[in-house]
Amino acid sequence: MIEASGLVKTFRTRGGVIRAVDGVSFRAEAGRITGLLGPNGAGKTTTLRMLYTLMAPEAGEIRVDGLDPQREPERVRARLGVLPDARGIYKRLTARENIAYFGRLHGMEEEAIARRTALLSEQLGMSDFIDRIGEGYSQGQRTKTAIARALIHDPPNVILDEPTNGLDVMTTRALRDFLRQLREEGRCVIFSTHIMQEVALLCDHIVIIARGRVVAQGSPEELKERAGTPNLEDAFVRLIGSEEGLIA
Amino acid sequence: MRALWVVASKELLDLFRDRRTLLLGLLMWPLLFPALILGVGGLAEQRMRTQLEKVLELPVLHGERAPNLLAFLRSRDIEPIAPPPDPEAAIREQEHDVVLAIPEDFAGLWRESRPARVELWYDASRQDAQIPVERVQKAIEAYGQQLGVLRLLARGVDPAVARPVFAVRKDLSTPEARRGMILAFLPYLLILSAFLGGAYLVIDATAGERERQSLEPLLATPASREAIMSGKIAAACLFGMLSLLLILASFKGSFALASLFSSGPFGAVDVSWLAVAKLLLILFPMVLIGTTLLTLISASVKSVKEAQTYMSVLMLLPIVPTIALLIHPVKNQLWMFAVPFLAQNQAIMNVLRGEAIGLAEWAVYLASGLALGLLLWLVAARLYHRERLAISA
Repeated sequence: MIEASGLVKTFRTRGGVIRAVDGVSFRAEAGRITGLLGPNGAGKTTTLRMLYTLMAPEAGEIRVDGLDPQREPERVRARLGVLPDARGIYKRLTARENIAYFGRLHGMEEEAIARRTALLSEQLGMSDFIDRIGEGYSQGQRTKTAIARALIHDPPNVILDEPTNGLDVMTTRALRDFLRQLREEGRCVIFSTHIMQEVALLCDHIVIIARGRVVAQGSPEELKERAGTPNLEDAFVRLIGSEEGLIA
Repeated sequence: MRALWVVASKELLDLFRDRRTLLLGLLMWPLLFPALILGVGGLAEQRMRTQLEKVLELPVLHGERAPNLLAFLRSRDIEPIAPPPDPEAAIREQEHDVVLAIPEDFAGLWRESRPARVELWYDASRQDAQIPVERVQKAIEAYGQQLGVLRLLARGVDPAVARPVFAVRKDLSTPEARRGMILAFLPYLLILSAFLGGAYLVIDATAGERERQSLEPLLATPASREAIMSGKIAAACLFGMLSLLLILASFKGSFALASLFSSGPFGAVDVSWLAVAKLLLILFPMVLIGTTLLTLISASVKSVKEAQTYMSVLMLLPIVPTIALLIHPVKNQLWMFAVPFLAQNQAIMNVLRGEAIGLAEWAVYLASGLALGLLLWLVAARLYHRERLAISA
């Protein structure tokens, strides 16, 4: 379970101080998929980066399975599987080697790494390229490798930043099934997206973020009720206040 | 600690997969250095021999005023020739190294047994002129001395009276030290390849990894940033030492080869395996300093390109002590072993000259070199903790 309360993060730029995240609070339970929906630049990536200890919040608190990332960053990272916005995989290593590298950094034994790799390769459909060098991978193959790499240590919590970005329809559908499977396995799954359909299809809990603030959150039914619309997409548009930066 | 080795072995695997870069990085210097050293050394030796032994053609202005002097010069393999129309221009244009001018009053002063002056015209800023000028000057001095002795004898004075003191030179330099003179540029080459030999690997491992967007996922693993950074540094140090070992082995091999084919100064050079081991030990702190410094730079800049712009400045650093010593030569002192670059320069020269390095020197050298490496490591680790590091554009 991941809890965030009152997160604040500002960036100094030439134009002045930007409050990228301004009081974001939510709660992502285990066995559920929580979606952060918001237009580009709403503060989703920054919020996630604070969750996986890459950035320190200026105010507010985070708890990952009850642990404070500020005080025990390494234990927190051990309980997280992270697919960051940056997907870079090592081009001169095979997918299997990329995955094993992260397994070793998680302190796993070789035997466990091999077992988990076989499982993830099957679940994600990686068998046709897993022993090929990363040079020349398609976007989908890169994303699959990055996801397998993030989940090699069997983490109870999974954070994915725009996981379907740049993927074709087939891969996107397969990935959605995979996320549902993670939920079935009892994991806490958080992902960010600017695609409305995606949250509508997948999420048990939706957090709508705009301009660094949470404008609404709840289950799909609750959101429809609050906005007074029968359609979830209309509800999103009404709650955010504009369609800018969103994709149906 | 385990994470450190995981990172180091991955970096090395990654590097070894990149065959072309690897071969260039590992083999270019070992192939280039011996060619450079033996080639340049052979050239210098050949020129010195021809300049010393060849008949020197010496343009003489108004040679008719001193026929005996010219005859004496001829006996010393210096052949007086007619001067060019404009001798000063000829020297400036490097047609002649040195011109002898006999002033008008030479004969008159000579007859009155007063010191007669002759002039040597040359360009002191030209290295090439040194040996010819010295040859002519020595010949003229010898002529003067001979005549002086004859004049004293003619007046019934023992010539020894006019020579109250004289110095005899006794060269105590060992053959190894004379060889060291020839190898004066070797320390710079070795220090440079230790300092920046693995530069592209280091820059690639931090700035490049960030540019390829793989640093953020790496930092999301439980491995500490210090361990990740140290792993990258360890990989670069191992690679650096391997490439130095290859360079030194190629030196050893090419000196051995030279001794088979020529009797030149390199024929006598023997780089023993003990000397190779000592050189590796001397160069290790330099590898560490270079690697940590470049890691620090890579962690503080925005891109690989920006990191590479530092390289041209860094390449000059190892030459600073060499130039400083050239302008202001000082004796080997203990404090020198604490100054980076200067210390390596002195220590390498000691090994090449076959001189022993004392225990105190080793202690000061290794302690200060490793301390500087540690300091740079600490600064780099601080930079690795900055939030900006992982976030690529």
